[in-house]
Amino acid sequence: MDSALERQISAASRSVEEARRLAYHDPTRLGALVEQISVLADLRQKEGDFRKAESLYKEALFRAQELKRPDPDLMTGIYSLLAHLYDRWGRMDQAAAFYEKALHISEDNGLESTEKVATIKNNLAMIFKQLRDYDKAERYYHEALETFQAIDGDQSARVASVYNNLGVLYYSRLDVDRAQIMHERALTIRQSLKEGQMDPADLSQTFINLAAVYKAAGDFQKAEASIDRAKRLRSGINGFHPNPRRSASLLIDKNL
Amino acid sequence: MREILSIHVGQCGNQIADRFWRLILREHGLTEAGTPKEGANISANTNMEVFFHKVRDGKYIPRAVLVDLEPGVIARIEGGDMAQLFDESSIVRKIPGAANNWARGYNVEGERVIDQIMNVIDAAVEKTKSLQGFLITHSIGGGSGSGLGSLILERLRQAYPKKRIFTFSVAPSPLISDSAVEPYNAVLTLQRILDNADAAVLLDNEALFRIAKAKLNRSPNYMDLNHIIALIMSSVTASLRFPGKLNTDLGEFVTNLVPFPGNHFLTASFAPMRAAGQEGQVRINFPDVARETFSQDNFTAAIDWANGVYLSACALFRGDVKAKEVEENMAAIRKSLNFASYVPTGVKLGLAETAPEGFASSGLALVNHTGIAAVFERLVSQFDIMFDNHAYTHWYENAGVSRDMMATARDTIANLAKSYRDAN
Repeated sequence: MDSALERQISAASRSVEEARRLAYHDPTRLGALVEQISVLADLRQKEGDFRKAESLYKEALFRAQELKRPDPDLMTGIYSLLAHLYDRWGRMDQAAAFYEKALHISEDNGLESTEKVATIKNNLAMIFKQLRDYDKAERYYHEALETFQAIDGDQSARVASVYNNLGVLYYSRLDVDRAQIMHERALTIRQSLKEGQMDPADLSQTFINLAAVYKAAGDFQKAEASIDRAKRLRSGINGFHPNPRRSASLLIDKNL
Repeated sequence: MREILSIHVGQCGNQIADRFWRLILREHGLTEAGTPKEGANISANTNMEVFFHKVRDGKYIPRAVLVDLEPGVIARIEGGDMAQLFDESSIVRKIPGAANNWARGYNVEGERVIDQIMNVIDAAVEKTKSLQGFLITHSIGGGSGSGLGSLILERLRQAYPKKRIFTFSVAPSPLISDSAVEPYNAVLTLQRILDNADAAVLLDNEALFRIAKAKLNRSPNYMDLNHIIALIMSSVTASLRFPGKLNTDLGEFVTNLVPFPGNHFLTASFAPMRAAGQEGQVRINFPDVARETFSQDNFTAAIDWANGVYLSACALFRGDVKAKEVEENMAAIRKSLNFASYVPTGVKLGLAETAPEGFASSGLALVNHTGIAAVFERLVSQFDIMFDNHAYTHWYENAGVSRDMMATARDTIANLAKSYRDAN
């Protein structure tokens, strides 16, 4: 195992123990304990020990509820971290259930138009897509889109990513026309993003996605041209791709 | 190092912890705060690490996790002379209790605390180099020890599939009863012990009471009963902690004591039984110790000795005993025990040099006897009377345990009893 990660884990474990001792006598220290537990859980997830990560997040969840006034922002955060863990673990039903719990809490507490909630909705839509519940997926993508547009305006990498994801969704439903519209919108935004915000890997992915759509529509010339653009962008990344698995796949959602 | 982590669950489990850790501290020459006693020779105790984790200032912290759904017993331990002993990060103390209801301990309250408990256990396991296994103390008739204890057993088995799990389970007595729903709680718990533990030593308060009363010449209290349990637990692990000519670890006990999968319910006996503080006053000879160790009225569960056979037996003698003497006496005892015809071999023996504090020598027997079926049959028949009349089942259904689940547990334990009877 990565020894740096090992060291981080043992330091985080010690911090959790110390926080437990303090919280044992003084309930006002519970908030700090929950924070330490989440840090350790995150490291456990990185390590790939999903069982321990799950136990830690769930403890954080129950301990946070012991607080006199549970912080809805904190609760939303822990629910979505747990959901994200289940997502990585391949437990899609549980991931969906926990993301939805996170959404309920934020809605009950007037937090529905925050970017955290929009991110949850995007991720939840991705899970529903995998569970083949396309209507729910579409609804959540649109809600996420509205929130990101309200916060960032139209020229935003996040808005482009949700368009991309909608395009992928429509493509899986064989709705090629709408898929094309979504990917073209994503392309317009991604091409006009400023230096620094523009990710050539994302842009190249949009060209690949568009190529797939054009090919499905029977427009092979456009498809080939898009593939060429994607190839040129890829060669510009110098062979390095931050996420090699993503670069190899044809159609992929953009996790936010 | 072959470390052992003790997990004490519920009121009964923690009362046992109180007596058990006192005894272990004395055996290892430690004060109630976990520091070496003046003049005590710690280096002679080569295996301190089995039960203790040493911290920087020379203090020894028990490898123990204390869990209860009501704070009373643990609060008393913390308020007493062992206040400084346990690590507070490994104590899980909650309210409002499981109300004698297995289903509340297993589902409702259990769900809220199980992850915290598992995290505390994981942290304790990470402090070991080569964990041998877990000892769990609990009662199976109440709510916390039975329901939450069952949940811990299940999760522990999932998380540590290759580690040994030994339970010391206090079962309801035939005559003395703490609550009306004991048979339900016990049957539901036994099903989990059957599925998840490697071995379970059944202890029943009535048998303990009888033993204590016969030996103490006064009316015993719960502390006396728990002291007997502590002596048994100490002896089971003695070979790991003290040097000896014939070492026996938890794995060897399990291999020798469990002839068929699932038939891992044991009963135990400790000799010479004396009241705490009076141990060293009488020095008895080895034949007497050996005889008392295997005397039927010295065992801690209501076994049907007349209608059953021995499937297996282990004996561990501690202190000032000679190997030759042990062999001679055990050969005679082995002949007198009614073993199953298909078990031709002898009794598994262990020898450890250090006797429990206050004793010159002592004996422990762990026995797998088919007469233990009587314990299960009694619980199942009490279960049936209530269950057939739908008595009290609504409490369980309200807490997420259906009548179907209860019926499955009942059938499992009835089959377990039958499997023991069939082994005759």
